[in-house]
Parts: sequence; structure tokens; C-alpha cells
Amino acid sequence: MKQAGSKHINSLLESFFKLKRDINRWSFATLFILLIIAVPVFTIGIKLFDGPGQSWLHISDYLLPSYLKNSFYLAILCSIITILFGVSSAWLVTRYHFPFRKALEWLLIIPLAIPSYIVAYAYAGFFDYGGIYASFFEVFEIANAKLDIMNVFGLAFVLSISLFPYVYVSARAFFLNQAISLLEASRLLGVSERKSFVKLIIPLARPAVVAGLVLVLMEVLNDYGAAKYFGVNTFTTGIFRSWFSLEEPETAIYLSALLLILVFGLILIEKWQRRKIQYSSIKSANTKPNKKIILPKWQQFLICFTVLIPVVLGFFVPVWQLLIWAFKTFTQVLNPSLFWLSLQSFGIAFITAFFTVLFALVLLYFSKWNKITFIKNASKLGVLGYAIPGAVVAIGIMMPTLLIDKWLINQGLITQFLINGTLIALVYAYVVRFLAVAYQPLESSSLKVNNSIPDSSKILGMGNFKTFYKIEFPLIRAGMLSAFILVFIDTLKELPLTLILKPYHVNTLAVKAYEFASDEMVMQAAIPSLCIILTALIPVIFLNKLLLKNE
Amino acid sequence: MNKILEIKNLSKSFDGGKAQAIDQVDFYVNQGDICAVVGESGSGKTTLIRLIAGLENPDQGKIIIKGKEVSSIKKVLVPEKRNIGMVFQEYALFPHLNVLENVMYGLAKRKDKKQRAEEVLALVGLKEYKERYAHELSGGQQQRVALARALAPEPSLLILDEPFSNLDAMMRTQLRNEIFNIIKKTGVTAIFVTHDTQDALAVADEILILQNGKLVQKDEASKLYHKPQSIYVASLFGNTVQLNKGLKNAFRCPLKEDCCHAIRNENISINVSDCEFVTTAKIIKRTFLGTHSQLLLKLDNGENLSVVTNEAVLGDELKIGFNSNDILAFDE
Repeated sequence: MKQAGSKHINSLLESFFKLKRDINRWSFATLFILLIIAVPVFTIGIKLFDGPGQSWLHISDYLLPSYLKNSFYLAILCSIITILFGVSSAWLVTRYHFPFRKALEWLLIIPLAIPSYIVAYAYAGFFDYGGIYASFFEVFEIANAKLDIMNVFGLAFVLSISLFPYVYVSARAFFLNQAISLLEASRLLGVSERKSFVKLIIPLARPAVVAGLVLVLMEVLNDYGAAKYFGVNTFTTGIFRSWFSLEEPETAIYLSALLLILVFGLILIEKWQRRKIQYSSIKSANTKPNKKIILPKWQQFLICFTVLIPVVLGFFVPVWQLLIWAFKTFTQVLNPSLFWLSLQSFGIAFITAFFTVLFALVLLYFSKWNKITFIKNASKLGVLGYAIPGAVVAIGIMMPTLLIDKWLINQGLITQFLINGTLIALVYAYVVRFLAVAYQPLESSSLKVNNSIPDSSKILGMGNFKTFYKIEFPLIRAGMLSAFILVFIDTLKELPLTLILKPYHVNTLAVKAYEFASDEMVMQAAIPSLCIILTALIPVIFLNKLLLKNE
Repeated sequence: MNKILEIKNLSKSFDGGKAQAIDQVDFYVNQGDICAVVGESGSGKTTLIRLIAGLENPDQGKIIIKGKEVSSIKKVLVPEKRNIGMVFQEYALFPHLNVLENVMYGLAKRKDKKQRAEEVLALVGLKEYKERYAHELSGGQQQRVALARALAPEPSLLILDEPFSNLDAMMRTQLRNEIFNIIKKTGVTAIFVTHDTQDALAVADEILILQNGKLVQKDEASKLYHKPQSIYVASLFGNTVQLNKGLKNAFRCPLKEDCCHAIRNENISINVSDCEFVTTAKIIKRTFLGTHSQLLLKLDNGENLSVVTNEAVLGDELKIGFNSNDILAFDE
């Protein structure tokens, strides 16, 4: 007995010594960064204990069912439409030869350059009285042609048409990398093209498609601008209503918590559907360019037309509408204050991109330098911020920063708010939300650097920082650049988080467009919207170049 | 003799103890020796050298380099302070630096770094290549640059991880001799990991055999070959047949039962005139392998056995045999 006891103590002592040996400053630094990122989720969790606000009963009885119903409809409809557009176009561009195929291949990504709330404004105008749709029918002397899209179905259409590229990109990556060689093998075994597609490719593509779909659904749950404009009640509009109109933070917190549960449920479903399916990551040595099927000319044009539909709907129609409005309003909107506004917007996006890339780098490398496996695994949680809707992040940051500021003032250290209601809180929230956007390109470019390269540097006498500066930094520069650009553009487009956290005197292009649209001046929203789209177009093209390079 | 490296009771596992990579390993390496670590893939070779280099921390035991304790469960000296040189399997040359910059990398603190780098480059015969980048060099040249880079700071111990596995068979032997001539010239103590016993036999002063993370034998090359301590060790150095009951009976070979015996296929002869133990066999299959042929045989009692020969064998039946001093005995 005694022996067994002392053995137990010895092994405990041993584990303690090893922990003491392996824990280093990087372990603490990693944990600290994770803590900073987790603040909004913790806040929401803790604040739940304060109980719901006065209107909670009213909301849960009368509004919650409609939030749930609308979110459910949106999820189902958006899934169907984005899969329809995304998968079909991905398959057609990888498998068939047709005119303008190369151009369409990247044009299919550009709807991502337009934030969904702007697509919503454009379509609302497009189908409104006197809009393009109505004037088109007037030509045929059909009067009063108006399609009412200001409802949940219209919203689903608008969101899908601007978000389907997520499904397209991930399905196309799968088709390009593996599907063609599998299909060829299947054809050689005597199975027809159509049967192979249905029996082989569709089931195999599922993980890739679902991964893209989860991104779509996260964006759907995150959306505020489009739902607000279309008058559809969703969780996010509910959070805004309780925060701004009812001035009941407690209720906003309760809704946020529910929304978080929905989002994390989505993530779990995605993980579950991939549980044993490792095949999506099988790397096949498919270096040969896959041969495209050449059909008769008229069928080629048919395919070209089919692929063109989502591009036209997702990009050209809204841009066309915006251009018409811009032409009508540029005399009032184009002025020095718009220039100043753009400058502010770019400045904020720049600062955010800088800090987000910095945080992502720090998280990536500190967790590598830390020797404790548990912390290494935990560091992956840092990227979950992207799943948290912007409004929730904003509320989760608003409260603790307020507390800190009040405390600092009580201590007599500052005289006015330092964090809350300033750029610091805003950039902090952006960093939490967009960390994953920066983390992924950085991680994949650092994975391309074989571990033995930094190891060699260390064995040759350089420490972690010197190794990073001399070896890793020059080797992952491309990844850092794309991380920076991606965050820059996401910040420029961001609306709900910015609306809640932006300092009073600061404005962004996205907020300006939203304000115009809310004030019944949707035409005036066109020019700030076009500014965002133009800026966003550059990296979308750039991103595609990177994608093609990786092929 | 001076011990450069001492390993005491070293253990390391991964996945929270689920995969035991190194299991209570004990050994030492003398100054100036070349020591090979041999084992199948997954036997813990790479983990062992990563532990020595300080790239992994042990679960148990100690590593002592030049009398200084560098790893234990209480502390671990970081790799950059161990004065070790390492040549990685994939060479790990820094792709954005040229050959000279690569070699100078570990000499940051020295004043004569350029001179020293050129000196080692001359040693490996690549002085004219100093402006080139890794992708402009052949595999063998990259290997030599990696060696020069590792040798430049005059490490007290040089580690090579599977140094020849990325090279084709033709180049392998030539490069092996070149590399180890250079290492011998510098007099540095070296440990190299390989799964190829030919490499180990050719150049190592001592060979360590790892099996499932355990050190199963450590000896000179000839001893390992002639006196292997287990059938695993024996079969690493050539095809070996365990003499089971059926075979013992077939050859009428009176061996004790409490001991495990084996014979190398190459020691089974078809010239039975001077063999002590003989039996007859039927040829089932002949495989022509260039310098020799492999015959798959069926013995009278139904046992299968394969032998190699460089003589032409006629007919379907033949006699085979071996001598008692070729029998390998292990206590298992």
C-alpha cells in the first residue's frame, strides 16, 4: 500500500517537473491571446446570469418564433439556391470546354466583392416601381409590373446570389484536385459519365460542399443590413432592436446567446458530417491539366449561358442598378466629405488588417513555440471568432470595455473613455471577428515551410525570434500579404459590428451606405457602395490569381 | 575513451502516452566515433535524434553531452545552445539564401565567418557553387551543402537523419563514401540514422539497433552480423529463416528446444558435400535476379524454404544443407 502511494506521488511529482520544464513564456502568451479573443463569448455567458430584460417575455412569446421561423426558412432556401448555383457552375467550369470559360471561372467569384446588404438595396430598387424590372415590362406595355421581393423569400434570393461563391470555390477546389481522376477511373471501369457523377462525385463532394455551405449560413446569420432593409425579423435584427430601440442589453445578450448556440450547432454539424470522411483531404498527384469535354457548339453556348446566370444575377444586375443610381446622384454625393469618409474607412481597414495579421502571426507562432500540447490544440479555438456574428461580438466587447473604462476613471487614471466608444474597441472587435480570415492563409503558407527548416536554424544557434525574422518571415510573405488584403476588404464591408461599436464622430463607407438606405435615400447609397465594390474587386481578382497559381 | 554523448534511461511517448516512441534507452558514444542507429520505420530512430538535438523533450531519463546534462525531466537546454550539427533527411537548406549564406548562417558570432564558410565549402568540394541557391543544385550537392553548414560551427556532435534515403542507388554508394571521408577528416563524432543496414555496415564504428523504441543491441558491425541477439536483428542484416521444429526435423538437426535458432538464407548451400545437415527439396519456383537466382523450395515434410544461388540448377529436385557454425542462436 505504502509503496503504491509513494509511486503515485512520484509520478505526480514527475508530471509537475515536466510541466514546469515545458511551460514557457510562449505558453502563457498563447493563453493570454486566447483569453482576449474569448472575451466576447465569456461576457455573453456571464451576463446570462443577470437574467433577461423586461421585454424578454414579450419577445420570446411573440418575436422569437418568427426569428426562428425566418432563420429556418433562410437557412433552407439559401442552402438550396447556393448549392444549385455553386455546385453546378463549379462542375461545368471544371469539366467542360465552352466559350469564355477562363473568364467565367473567376467571374463566378466576384459576387463576393459586393456586401449582401448592397445587393439587397440594388435588388429592392431593381424590382421597385420605376425600377429596371418595371421599365422593362413597360416596353411591352404591361403596366404595374412589380415583383414584391421585400420578404423572406426575396431576402433568401438576395443573400444566396451574393454568397453562392463560397460553395462554388470549395466545390471547384474539390473537383479540380480529385474528382477528375476519380471520374476517369470510374469511366475506365465502364460506368457512364452521368452515373459516375451521381454515384461517385456527388457523395464525395459532400464534405467540400458542406464546408462552403457552413460559411454561407454563418454569413446569413451574421447579416443585418439586408434583413433590416427587407423588413424580415431575424436574430440579428432582434439583437439590434433590443440594443438600440428597447435599450435592453440583457435581452440582446439572451438573443446573442441563442444565436451563438445556433452557430456552434452548425459548426458541430459540419465536424460531424466529416467525422470519418478524410477523403476530402486526400491529395492526389494530379499534376496533369485535366482534359475538358468538348461538346457541340450549341451545347457549349448553352453551358456558357447557364454559368453566366449566377454571375449576372450576383454581380452585373446589382452593379448596373448602382451605376444608374450613381449617375443620378453623383452631383449631391460626390463631395469632399465623401472623400474624407473613404479615407477614414480605408484607414480603419488598414489598421485592422495590420493588427489582425499581427495577432494571427503571434497566435500561430507562439503556439508553435510553446511545448505544451494542450495549449497547442487550444490555440486552434482562436479562429472561432469568425463564426460569431458581428453583432454578438460587438455586444460582447461593448460591456467589458465599458467596465474597464469606468474602473480606470474611478481610479483617476483617465478622464474620459479610453477604449469604449473609441477606435480601440472597434479594432479589437474586428480582430476577434477576422482573426480566422488572416490565420488561414498564414497557416497554409507556414505549412509549406518544412519543419526541418526552422529546426535547422535553431540547431545552428538562432533563437525563436531570430529564426522567425531570418527564415520564416521571408518565406511566408506571400501568405501575409493575402491575409492582410483579405482582412482589409472584410473590414471595409463589415456593417453590424461597425454600427454598434464605431466612435460617434467616425464613419465608414459601409455605414454611410446603410444610413442613406435607412433614410429612404437608397439612390444616394450607390456611390459609397460602388467605392466598396471597386476596392473589393482588386483582391478578389488577386485571390483568384493565387488560387490558380496553387493549381 | 572520452564519452561525448551519454543517454540514460531515456523515454518519450506521443499522444499522451498512447504511442511509446522511445522506451528506456541507455547508451553512450565515444569521441570521434561514427555511430549508426538502425531500425525499421516507426522504431523510434528519428525521435531519438530529435531528443538529442533538443527538438523534443523527454518523458524520462537524461541526455548528457560532453559531461553536461542537456535534457532531463527538470530542464531542457534549447537546441540553439547545444552545439550540435544536424543534417536533415530533406537537407532543409534555406531556400532564400545562397550556398555561402546558408553555410555562414550558423557562424553569426564568429569574426572569420566568410573565411570559415569557404573553408568548409572547399572541404565538401563546392567552393565554386557558393553563389547558387538550393534549387539550382542536385540532390547530392544539396546534401554536401547541408553537411558543410552543419560542420561549419565545429559542433561537438554531428547528427545525420537518413542522409541517403533521397538519393538513387547509383549515387548512394559514391556519396556515402565521400560524406564519411569528410566526416572522418574532421574527426567529429557522428550519429546517423538509417533504415539501410548496408549504410551502417559500411561506415559505422558502432551500430545501435532499435525495435519499437527499445535498444535491442549495440555492437560493432561484424559482431552484429555474426552474433545477433534476436531474430529481428538478424533479419535486418539479410534474409533469415527461423529453424522451427519442422525444419529441424527435416535437416535432422539436433538442437536444444529451449533456445531459438535461425539460419541465413545465404548460408543454405546447394553444394552439400561439406554440409553437416542435409535434406532434399523440390523446386517450386525459380526467380532470376541477375547475379543470382532465388529458388522457392518445398521440403519433404511440406515446409517451404527459399535459397539463393549463383549456380545453374538442373532438374526439379535438389539437396540442400548448412553447417552448425552458421546457425544463429538467441535466447527468446
